Amino acid sequence: MTATDISHRKKFFALGNVYLPHIVVIEKIIEETPGVRTFHFNFKDKKLGKEFSFESGQFGQYSVFGIGEAPFCISSSPTRRDHLEFTAQRVGRVTNALHRLGAGAELGFRGPYGNSFPLDFLKSKNLVFVGGGIGLAPLRSLIWNVIDNRNKYKKIDIIYGARSPADLCFKYDLDAWGKDKTVNMVTTVDKGDDTWKGKVGVVPKILEEVAPSAREAVAIVCGPPIMIRFTFPVLEKLGFTPKQMLTTLEKRMKCGIGKCGRCNIGNIYVCRDGPVFSYAQIKNFVSSEY
Amino acid sequence: MANKKVNKKDIAKLLNQWRQQFTVLAPSKENGVAQMAEWDGKDTSFLDWYRNTVIPPKASFLPPMEEMFRFQKDKEGYHIELPPTNEHKQLIFGIRPCDARAMTILDMTFEEAYQDPYYLSRRKNAVLVGLGCTNPCESCFCTSMGVSPTESTNVDLMLTDIGDQFLIEVVTDKGKELIAKASGLKEATKDDEAKAKETKETSYNKITRKLDTEGIVDKLQASFDDEGFWEQTAAKCISCGICTLLCPTCYCFDINDELVRGEGTRFRSWDSCGFPVYTKMPMENPRLEKWRRVRQKVCHKFEFYPMTFNVIACTGCGRCIRLCPVNWDITQVLESVPVKTGVRK
Ligand code: SF4
Ligand code: SF4
Ligand code: FES
Repeated sequence: MTATDISHRKKFFALGNVYLPHIVVIEKIIEETPGVRTFHFNFKDKKLGKEFSFESGQFGQYSVFGIGEAPFCISSSPTRRDHLEFTAQRVGRVTNALHRLGAGAELGFRGPYGNSFPLDFLKSKNLVFVGGGIGLAPLRSLIWNVIDNRNKYKKIDIIYGARSPADLCFKYDLDAWGKDKTVNMVTTVDKGDDTWKGKVGVVPKILEEVAPSAREAVAIVCGPPIMIRFTFPVLEKLGFTPKQMLTTLEKRMKCGIGKCGRCNIGNIYVCRDGPVFSYAQIKNFVSSEY
Repeated sequence: MANKKVNKKDIAKLLNQWRQQFTVLAPSKENGVAQMAEWDGKDTSFLDWYRNTVIPPKASFLPPMEEMFRFQKDKEGYHIELPPTNEHKQLIFGIRPCDARAMTILDMTFEEAYQDPYYLSRRKNAVLVGLGCTNPCESCFCTSMGVSPTESTNVDLMLTDIGDQFLIEVVTDKGKELIAKASGLKEATKDDEAKAKETKETSYNKITRKLDTEGIVDKLQASFDDEGFWEQTAAKCISCGICTLLCPTCYCFDINDELVRGEGTRFRSWDSCGFPVYTKMPMENPRLEKWRRVRQKVCHKFEFYPMTFNVIACTGCGRCIRLCPVNWDITQVLESVPVKTGVRK
């Protein structure tokens, strides 16, 4: 939300050049759903790995050398630094190549880029997480971050949905949050199957049912654009002001640092000024450019 | 430092002195296309034919295609190295004031927050020797964009036609050094200065195309969602990208990898917001419709850039008007933005 001061990041550039990636190694791959995988990785240079720091919401540019780069948020929490994670759906050239790799393969990594979730603003608030599909990736970094600092925050609601039970990502997290007595976890699918016992219905509809209070609350919404578009009006109905709604935006990106031009919405560069925005910041563009 | 002058017939001598230290680039026609190219040590015929280059001088700082780094894989994994650099000590001779101004506008983007090492190192090591326009094109509207066709800002030295000679204004310290290293220059006289002043006035008045940019940011903001206006504006455009690729203030680039027999290169190349793939994501494309792309081009220059950097990212060089295959005219577009009350923001 706030423009990030990058001066401290400069010493982390490979050979002093912001466009050069560091080498990272894939340590483990989790098949979330058919077509969605989470990659656990670490820096090849252990010392660099120790120096590396990031905040929930920030993203990196990942290279499959010879194929190209693609941006993914760091989906693990900065409070859990045994390794780093990102989650990729197999949809394009780079992600197809990524999905062909196994543990031990090397990738290029530059980052972290972008702003982050405003922890100071979230402190002492009730938090309503609304996620859809692979959109849980940026949210889960923040959710674990918040759970690992549980006493700083008040009530936690998590409303997460996917098209079908098979499309639910991070089932191990959903289980863990479901067991956590300090968290109200609601999982839903658009269309159930014989074994599905959770809720059925699209995320905005279930959100309306759960009806979290807007008092001293912030809603953090991540998911496919269509879900986001239908979620904001529900939140408004529940009394959330545009400033109380946060989201992350996705655009095609190349440079990741506000130079190559392509990720803009108006005078905002999603890579440089985002990816985290309040609805107040972007609501004028929702109809036209997003 | 007092102004100097040089005989037109001695320009080759002067450039050859600078050539000891710099790669001298001057207007040249490569396959019929005017651009800044390495000077051959002799030919100064451009002094007769040169009005402005087709390819803007930004190409010497942000090349149409450039290597960013190389990668290779061996038993230990991937290795990355920077491409071998020459020092990029370029002297651009004959840059027009509009294009020099464009370089200052580009600097803002490449210096802001994360610095772009490739562009900035070339920029830092380069010197710009400007040459005032005495024969501007019908499509030029620099004077409406706060640029005079003979002005001596954004360059290190500035030359003005005073008949058989050029008056040389020393603008920066870099320019001072250039002069100190050159022999055969004479001090400019009062008379020369008067002639230069006259040239400047005449040139200024030769620019007849005008654009009123008063309140343009607000006007564009208010009309951002006016689909009808943008559709009409974009109607004849064929999305060739010329007006952006060859605009001296456009900087968008693409990044790609190439792998040939195990030797990898990551390179970047000019790109344009006029192309549909520019914003294409696997699942959706926010600017699939042509009018959205045309709107982006216009608003980036006249609305977003001013919002971020407080300057309009257009110098009135007129290229996008001269070179458009279907006569799309940015001055006409901007003059026809509907005036609306109630600004969007
Ligand atoms: S040069 Fe003309 S046709 Fe080509 S993209 Fe620009 S406006 Fe469209
Ligand atoms: S928008 Fe057109 S007139 Fe303005 S600087 Fe670019 S090419 Fe020149
Ligand atoms: S990705 Fe290049 S400007 Fe945002």
